[in-house]
Amino acid sequence: MRGERHLLRIGEYLVGRACQRLPRDIREERCREWAAELPAILHDPQIRLAPWRAVRMLSYAADTVRGTVSLSSKSRGRTPRITPVIYLLLLACLGSMAWDIWSTVRAPEHGLNYLQLAWDVLLVAYPVSVLARSCVRRASLIIISSTLAGEAVMLWNAAHAPRDWVNYFAAALFFAALLVLLRLVWQLPRRRSRTGRA
Amino acid sequence: MTAQLERVLGAFLADPAAPRYGYDLMKAARLPSGTLYPLLARLEHQKLVASAWEIPQQHGQPPRKYYRLTAEGIRAARLDLAHASARRQHALAHSGRPAPGSLG
Repeated sequence: MRGERHLLRIGEYLVGRACQRLPRDIREERCREWAAELPAILHDPQIRLAPWRAVRMLSYAADTVRGTVSLSSKSRGRTPRITPVIYLLLLACLGSMAWDIWSTVRAPEHGLNYLQLAWDVLLVAYPVSVLARSCVRRASLIIISSTLAGEAVMLWNAAHAPRDWVNYFAAALFFAALLVLLRLVWQLPRRRSRTGRA
Repeated sequence: MTAQLERVLGAFLADPAAPRYGYDLMKAARLPSGTLYPLLARLEHQKLVASAWEIPQQHGQPPRKYYRLTAEGIRAARLDLAHASARRQHALAHSGRPAPGSLG
């Protein structure tokens, strides 16, 4: 096939990129396994049209990236030492962010508070990006973040209108929802490991 | 059991003794690589599937990883597929529609 070598090189590049997301202990073997399939797909006698074989090979290579998310989260379960540290870091960053939100609410005219808040968002982004690899975790983090934002808004409203009891009621509701969500997220990995789901 | 897993086990059980490589299983189970390989890794972790590197018969091809069901895997796969089939029949019977092939 014309341009076969270039196509293979693109496929190998995609597989290589996918394998970079895998832990070291399984990376090399997976990479070898997936790369070995590329020429076989490109020469598949069951597919008559050469462009279709090329598309098939490239889609195979591109889809391995999706597979590595699941594979890396499974092997992450085998090395749980880092996870508590990341959770602690996340908790510390969230605490710092909550403090800065409170400071901003108390002194909205003070520009430095906004800068600190932006810095905290960046700090929170790191542990979140490490932890949020599976879809369920990502979804739960989004829900918790939005509840946290709701809580912040209600506290803001309560600070601006201290006599309005509705704000306190809504803030308490958001807080209760946050506690329930955190409890659910805490239990989720245990439940998943008990049922054997990845 | 998910539909994807059912398809992979079905593909293996078509010829349980035959070693299958990833692309072959992809075609048989009609699954993309991003779905198939995590499933294979899970089955391998549960010792239901064993893998080995073999050199293909065609000249010039690099070694490929072949998968095959273990004895325990064959037993578990047959049992799981039978359960899944029974559940489907049960669901069809309760939905009031005739099961496929039951009308002569």
